[in-house]
Amino acid sequence: MSDEKLLVVKDLKTTFDTANGLLPAVGGVSFDLDRNETLGIVGESGSGKTVLSRTIMGLQPRTKVSVTGSAVIDGFEVVGASENDKRKIWGTEVAMVFQDPMTSLNPVMRIGKQIDEALRVRLGMDKAAAKARAIELLELVGIPSPQERYDAYPGMLSGGMRQRVVIAIALACSPKLLMADEPTTGLDVTIQAQILNLLDELKDRLKMSVILVTHDLGVVATRTSRIVVMYAGRIVETGNTRDVFYHHRMPYTKALLESSPKVSNHSHTRLVTIPGRPPNLLNLPDGCAFAPRCSYATDQCHLVRPELEPSSEPGHTFACWNPLPVNEEGALA
Amino acid sequence: MSNVRLAEIQILEGSRKKGEPLGILFWICVGWIALNVFVAIFANVLPFQNPLNEDFTALNAAPSLHHLFGADDLGRDILARVAYGSRVSISVGIGAMIIGFGVGAPLGMLAAYRRGRFDAILTTVMYVMLAFPAIIATIAVLSFWTPRSLTKIIIVIGVASIPLVYRVIRTATLSVATKDYVVAAKVQGATDRRILMKELLPNIAPIGISFLLIGIATVVTLEGALAFLGLSVTPPTPSWGNMINEARTILQTNPWLVIFPSLALCLFLLCLNFIGDRIRTHFDVTEVKL
Amino acid sequence: MSDVREPLLKVRDLEVTFHAHGHSVSAVAGVSFDIFEGETLGLVGESGCGKSTTGKALMRIVEPSNGTIELDGTNVATLSGKVLRAARTKMQMIFQDPISSLNPRRRVKDIVAEPLDCWKKVQGDERTSIVHDLLSKVGIDPVVYGDRYARQFSGGQCQRISIARSLAMRPKLLICDEMVSALDVSVQAQILNLLEDLKAEYGLTLLFIAHDLAVVKNVSDRVAVMYLGKICEIGPADTLYESPAHPYTEFLLGAALEADPDSPMHSQTLEGEPPSPMNPPSGCRFRTRCPNATQKCADEEPLPQEVAPKHLVSCHYPLTIHHKTPTPTAVDG
Repeated sequence: MSDEKLLVVKDLKTTFDTANGLLPAVGGVSFDLDRNETLGIVGESGSGKTVLSRTIMGLQPRTKVSVTGSAVIDGFEVVGASENDKRKIWGTEVAMVFQDPMTSLNPVMRIGKQIDEALRVRLGMDKAAAKARAIELLELVGIPSPQERYDAYPGMLSGGMRQRVVIAIALACSPKLLMADEPTTGLDVTIQAQILNLLDELKDRLKMSVILVTHDLGVVATRTSRIVVMYAGRIVETGNTRDVFYHHRMPYTKALLESSPKVSNHSHTRLVTIPGRPPNLLNLPDGCAFAPRCSYATDQCHLVRPELEPSSEPGHTFACWNPLPVNEEGALA
Repeated sequence: MSNVRLAEIQILEGSRKKGEPLGILFWICVGWIALNVFVAIFANVLPFQNPLNEDFTALNAAPSLHHLFGADDLGRDILARVAYGSRVSISVGIGAMIIGFGVGAPLGMLAAYRRGRFDAILTTVMYVMLAFPAIIATIAVLSFWTPRSLTKIIIVIGVASIPLVYRVIRTATLSVATKDYVVAAKVQGATDRRILMKELLPNIAPIGISFLLIGIATVVTLEGALAFLGLSVTPPTPSWGNMINEARTILQTNPWLVIFPSLALCLFLLCLNFIGDRIRTHFDVTEVKL
Repeated sequence: MSDVREPLLKVRDLEVTFHAHGHSVSAVAGVSFDIFEGETLGLVGESGCGKSTTGKALMRIVEPSNGTIELDGTNVATLSGKVLRAARTKMQMIFQDPISSLNPRRRVKDIVAEPLDCWKKVQGDERTSIVHDLLSKVGIDPVVYGDRYARQFSGGQCQRISIARSLAMRPKLLICDEMVSALDVSVQAQILNLLEDLKAEYGLTLLFIAHDLAVVKNVSDRVAVMYLGKICEIGPADTLYESPAHPYTEFLLGAALEADPDSPMHSQTLEGEPPSPMNPPSGCRFRTRCPNATQKCADEEPLPQEVAPKHLVSCHYPLTIHHKTPTPTAVDG
């Protein structure tokens, strides 16, 4: 109905107060998300992607963490909101799917009951209605024999099945935004494909937006329309998926793409490596965080941090003083 | 080999710190325990009065210059008796733990490392023993094994603590023994003995030492309880526990006989517990990854 | 590679059966393969296929219930005691979790020297120089970092130290059990390149066990695919990936998520879940999920047949192989 963006994030910063000092896990991130869109947030460990996803959801604790900036989900400002207010949007406007289904599900509660919980508490359904809806949801996520599985404990199900249950719980109250943090990491390749297909299908059917947070470029390549690449707590490149894969401008994006082995490569292909290691967030260097490892770095890169600037394609921005030339051919890395 | 040169290694900032610092309170507690042990060992060369000497001029005397902690109902100096009483508590604490750890720890480590039938049988036996309340068992044995002596008390309490030590050490070893580096050591051709000493022991030591200290505290309390029931060393030998026991009946006239031994016991136990806990947190090597 | 050479490792009918609560689970149900000196054999499969168990059985970390493992002529499967310990110097293993592979309370230089100390072969200066040499070869400066404790290093660095340790006794065979699965993409690339370099320098033979198809293809000369305790297909990496002969391999490759937005989306996803290893299907174990299955597949277990030079497949109806040199493969029925 509304043309407004579903999610608008402006200059979001999350800083942890640790024993060793202040840690800027997310150092100023801005992006937005349309309705019915799938966005991929890509980065390695330490990039801040998981902290970002939890901050947007409003899941950061109140002590030892400071969150500044803004994250507005369908008109609701998450930053600074009280627990009670946040509880109103959790489940009904936004829902989250975490990586490890075994720890997201209560191992001593039957799965049917766990889905019921969401329906009865948030939507006020009575017992019978909730059970019926729960079985519907189990069927929706592709669990065979949902009436019998309703009474199963999580331990009786396989990893893939458990993740489907987690998705069912997340979808129980028809949220508009689904945040999926590494939803398929650790699952078998064939099960991964099933789960990602399921998410695609559900997104279209329920008119949801999905944010896929992952380190796996393969997951985002064919399943997202836009991508955000994160490094050391900031966005270094963002744009349509094809633009980022084929017309990337920031050397880190190039390096990330080149260091992933591909099934289409020949055996014994020498992988291009990024020298060194990701920076210590407690002690970020001046200038661009990637400069110490970048083969294109100049003096300016070490002194001043580049801001996001637009590239030639619409919606494509990157942060680099010495970007790669605009690649008209569209060759992959 | 260009990748070798290119691999810049950065050690995580702050990882040189060993974990939580021990703190000044830790050292104060160590000092207090050390003082207690010193007094226990050297009581007869230190300038204490004779704890058995009955001074009829100072029956139930309040603390004064002559009797720093006061005197009990037989005129005996409380300070001296607390000092000599520490011998009982500390020797029971250390002696019983030597037995408990000496037997329980190696068995626990071996059982966790070997697994199989050895572990199954031994653990069942130990758990059955644990099912009997230690205090009741100790009371029962000591009631019948007369005449009582410090040695007998140490033996009984020591044996009673074996299953507890076994369980703690076995659990600690189990979590270490399944780690990949133990498998790696085996695969490199290390003998079992080498693995136990070089891989397992250093990793269980912090928990072991911390439990040892807490165990001493528990045993000392147990002795206090036994003394309270009249089952510890026979009078007139002082022990903190039997002093408190004696003081029960004369609480109104002589509070000092309760206060000072209780204070000594409490402080001793508090310090031991604190040291034990501090050691455990200090040697906790869970890394903080960014 | 000439076929006349004797393989360095000859595995025949390897079986590993676990007994738990009165049930027996056949994790490895009769696996046979060869690895020739200087080659890398990749072993892929999804969870529960038995690939890790196979690696562990070769190292005698778990006990084989049946079968022979001939390393350089000696049957390792039946050795015990001191002889086994001695045989282990020829075979080493690198584990998945880099952090738990190293004793956190020991110094790096002692960890690397541990194999030398176990066998008391060298002392003093010679020992130090060997340790220094190994550490430098894996990219860790021995002078600066040799005295540090293992817990002070990152995942990638720990894996390097593990590699250095495993090379101390100059083994002939190195078994890599999911060794890069826990590492970030960029670190993974560094470690894989390092592995290739060391393989050349030390003349190693590798068994590379992993679930990531792209990674396996990248390091392997030949690849074996396992499903539910059996090998379905084994052949040269490039041809196996390009034209798989076994339907499971085809599904597996189809599900692999390539980091390329234009990679073709495979329409056929493998549905369902793998059957329980406690109750494997009769005949061909893949028949319950295979679209081509017939009664023959249920009655008769397919034996490995050669469909192309050095390319074996266990299937009654192998897929047509397209080779550069025309080798017609008749598809039966």
